[in-house]
Amino acid sequence: MKKGFHLGFILLLLCSLVLSACSNNTEAEGKNKDGKVVIDFQTFWGSETRRPVIEKIVDDFNKSQDEIEVKHTFVPWGDIWTKNTAAVAAGNPADVIVNDINTVAHRAENGQSEDLSQYIDEGIKDELYPNLWETVQYKDKFYGVPFTTDTRVLFYNKDAYKEAGLDPEQPPKTWKELEDHAKKLDVKKDGIYERIGFYPTWGSFGAGSWMANADDGKGFFEGNEMYINTPNKVEALKWVAGWHKRLGAKNVQAFQAEFGSGQTNPFISEKVAIWTDIASFYTQIRDTGKDMNFGIAPIPAFKEEGRNWNEGGGFVMEIPKGAKHPKEAATFIEYLASEKAQKYWAQKNYDNVANKKAAESVLKDFTGDEKLVYEQALKNLKDTRFHPAPIDYPDYASRVDPQLEAAITGKSTPEKALQKAENDVKKLKR
Amino acid sequence: MNGSVKFYQTMKFRRYVKNTIILSILILGSLVLLTPLWWMVSTSLKTPAEIAQHPPAFMPESFQFSNYIEAWQTGPFTRWGLNTLFISVIVTIGSVFVNSFIAYGFAKIRFKGRNTLFVIILATMLIPGFVTLVPQYMLFSKLGWVNTYLPLIVPAFLGSAFFIFLLRQFMLTIPKEFSEAAIMDGASHFKIWWHIMLPLTKPALITVGIFAFNGAWNDLLGPLLYLNDENLYTLQLGLQTFKGSVQVQWHYLMSMSVTILLPTVFLFFIFQRFFMNGANISSGTKG
Repeated sequence: MKKGFHLGFILLLLCSLVLSACSNNTEAEGKNKDGKVVIDFQTFWGSETRRPVIEKIVDDFNKSQDEIEVKHTFVPWGDIWTKNTAAVAAGNPADVIVNDINTVAHRAENGQSEDLSQYIDEGIKDELYPNLWETVQYKDKFYGVPFTTDTRVLFYNKDAYKEAGLDPEQPPKTWKELEDHAKKLDVKKDGIYERIGFYPTWGSFGAGSWMANADDGKGFFEGNEMYINTPNKVEALKWVAGWHKRLGAKNVQAFQAEFGSGQTNPFISEKVAIWTDIASFYTQIRDTGKDMNFGIAPIPAFKEEGRNWNEGGGFVMEIPKGAKHPKEAATFIEYLASEKAQKYWAQKNYDNVANKKAAESVLKDFTGDEKLVYEQALKNLKDTRFHPAPIDYPDYASRVDPQLEAAITGKSTPEKALQKAENDVKKLKR
Repeated sequence: MNGSVKFYQTMKFRRYVKNTIILSILILGSLVLLTPLWWMVSTSLKTPAEIAQHPPAFMPESFQFSNYIEAWQTGPFTRWGLNTLFISVIVTIGSVFVNSFIAYGFAKIRFKGRNTLFVIILATMLIPGFVTLVPQYMLFSKLGWVNTYLPLIVPAFLGSAFFIFLLRQFMLTIPKEFSEAAIMDGASHFKIWWHIMLPLTKPALITVGIFAFNGAWNDLLGPLLYLNDENLYTLQLGLQTFKGSVQVQWHYLMSMSVTILLPTVFLFFIFQRFFMNGANISSGTKG
């Protein structure tokens, strides 16, 4: 018995040795057997739909030249950045990584990403949407190249519009109209809502987004300047809180609980008639196969003369600090931002892409609803603002959000809540 | 027996009623606990369109067993499954033997500073894993262990505070006489541990084994951090391929979750008897 036990330990040691030996071989010098530089490219695009698209782009790049070989690795969504933080700290990161568009400056400030202006000509910005380019700049240099973006639009149920006696070709243009339409679209039976016309914070346009929409597109911060407690933001918050009061906390909560898991969507289930979401939400409607009769419109303006301000997100390509082959990585990033790669991505994934020509040329290939939605998304980009978290107050949302919640649920007044939010945030200054 | 005693007055009836009530409560309780599990199984058998339906149906319209096959085929899940099995088995072996050996020392050998050392070991349980995440990563990176299974396996051979505590408590209940008699016969500590302690602590060892296996099988963060090559990935990482930034493939996610859950469920049923014994020690109701 003792013999067997010792044998087991020896076997384990052997296994470990073999494993570590294997690893050393693959990492040697970062070159493959053909003498090409191997670039480790990490993304969270591992699904059946996205993986083939990114791998085709990688494959095209690998075939287009004979010095660099890109190896694509899937790392789970969200966790990819935890991994990156640890890897950068250890000096062992990937060569290219997809990262969040609204936090580029933070990583630049914290020395977690490489300054790309050393490797990529700034002229690349002319091919990309300017508001996206703004997000990657930090102290006159740029630390990422935009890849995709998203923009919020209003989806509305045309059948519900007809049923409520509204013109299905006339979506709401202002907040006032939105409210009028929503009230008509509500269906209430025995005190319980069977359908809710609209509720501002469901979907992907939160209270903060409505407040920015009311405040000429200004977020809670412009650079490091604070715009939390402004008259327009107070008014917007009052408006959001008004919906909560009108529908009743119980009804709002009941709906949220019902759809909270995200498996079913209240707009697609026709329980909510107007819905804010990113343009690619269209693919979810399409994939249910129900042939829903929906319309699309920009986010309504605060006042009649106002613009349809909305908020954008998206992803950029970055080189983490300490990457082994930044020069080659930069060459690949340039390829990812090129019209060819961007058009292919847009075509297959229905995302808004950063390259202007790619976005416009892919629109020509779309037809029907696909075209309708994409066209609106493109038009939207001119009114899309990005609100990157400010360098001095990276964690401001943790102070603002509870106050917004308190104001919406009636535990505080909008005036007091925003005053308190502003005071709390000031204390966070780094 | 007096003929006027009615059936409902008998002990038999009272026992019957008592059992019925207890049984109903237990059944009701199990149903509540089983609902999420059923939900998972039911979702795994629906079409995406049916999952999106409102109100959601408790039973799938038609059973889409093909989800299981299709989900498995979306990636190299066989490979990932074998990787996970490899890591889990080695981690389990390591956890069982090493921790038991350390626990033996704390339970049966008197030495200076034993209690202080034990308290220090227990104190490591208070440090949240996220605090040590980056330093640990840097350590393993310096050793050149990133992108190997070593960071996932080696720590299991270095002892875990919880398992040491659990096994030590169990060993304390074993009378000293056994080990003392062995010492009289000239046995070494290693022999005592191997020939006396291991067989006597079987329930606790199986508990540790199941915990360790479960932990390694379901670990996401470890493989996520240390593995860079998709060929080395584990099932938990594979599962994440169904969760995107915008959309989730619920039917695949659930069918693969059910599949991945099965080995641990089987393991639990096979060792259930021992597991219950062992679980009692950890909650302190025994010994």
